[in-house]
Amino acid sequence: MPEAAPLLELRGVRAAYDRIDVLFGVDLVVGQGSVVALLGPNGAGKTTLLKVACGLMPATAGDVLFCGKRVNGVRPDELARRGVAMVPEGRGIFPNLTVRDNLRMMTYTGASLAEIEAIAFDRFPRLGERVRQVAGTMSGGEQQMLAMARGLATDPAVLILDELSMGLAPIIVEELYEIVATVARSGVSILVVEQFASTVLGVADHAAIMVHGRIVRDGAPADLEQELSSAYLGNQQGDR
Amino acid sequence: MSTDRVEQFKQEMEAMQVRDPSQGRDRLWLRVGVALMIAGLVVAIAAYPLAATGNDLEQGQAIVQGIAGLTAAVVGTALFLRHSFGNFLRFWLARLSYEQQQHADRIIAERG
Repeated sequence: MPEAAPLLELRGVRAAYDRIDVLFGVDLVVGQGSVVALLGPNGAGKTTLLKVACGLMPATAGDVLFCGKRVNGVRPDELARRGVAMVPEGRGIFPNLTVRDNLRMMTYTGASLAEIEAIAFDRFPRLGERVRQVAGTMSGGEQQMLAMARGLATDPAVLILDELSMGLAPIIVEELYEIVATVARSGVSILVVEQFASTVLGVADHAAIMVHGRIVRDGAPADLEQELSSAYLGNQQGDR
Repeated sequence: MSTDRVEQFKQEMEAMQVRDPSQGRDRLWLRVGVALMIAGLVVAIAAYPLAATGNDLEQGQAIVQGIAGLTAAVVGTALFLRHSFGNFLRFWLARLSYEQQQHADRIIAERG
């Protein structure tokens, strides 16, 4: 019996900003219900890869596949409607709107506000206590919760998280990653990009290190932990 | 999320109509718009001296040429505006969102 196609697969993906190449043939697979961590230093091309995966940016070569179907050129809103949710770097919430109004923005999917709030407050009870608060006045961790809640409220099959820990205290990051692990256990496939690896490796099933637009190493999180410093600082021997 | 959701996702992906991506489509339409604008104006202006004749038939042809040129210029302008403003507005929206986020971060930082 043939093996089922992974939920998300990138094959030889290349991407560029105008004439500047950023990705150089990246291969990555995210299986059903698994958490894949994509690690790497600043400027490695991690966020660009996520943009390509969710249709925000075109691949100049290679294939993006969901469930084995090539989706190059499909608009990001079409993918989002079908269950590909992205929580962008910097959260992407509307800071001058209340928590409720931010969640109301997700009713474009056809779900009612009550349904969306039920999902969001079930995962993040703290948001339920701040439903009328202006989102920009909440703490960074709560804003990140709101961004995640908005993504989860669409009942996604694939969740893409970009720099979840950015600007947050370690204890909040741990709390958020506990939620990520819970979400993954419910069957959602998660691709998470992080610059700071320690927490995400604790919840990931698979990890890859990206440097200068290429996956330089991938494997089990435990195996990769030791190689992270050389990836971030550069291979001294290789540089000579 | 249940296995049903994954199955639904797979079915929706299977049923999705994927067009061949054409990365430079916006740029192509922009160029077509500019070309039509210029060509249309040239054709319309060229029709003006042609119409300066006593021959009704030639005058009629020149008028048709002029109207066709103006139509092409209008269509070209519409194409140009659609594809240049589309990009500009997308950029503007992204910038607005970014500035709001920066503003909110500043307020939070000041509140300690």
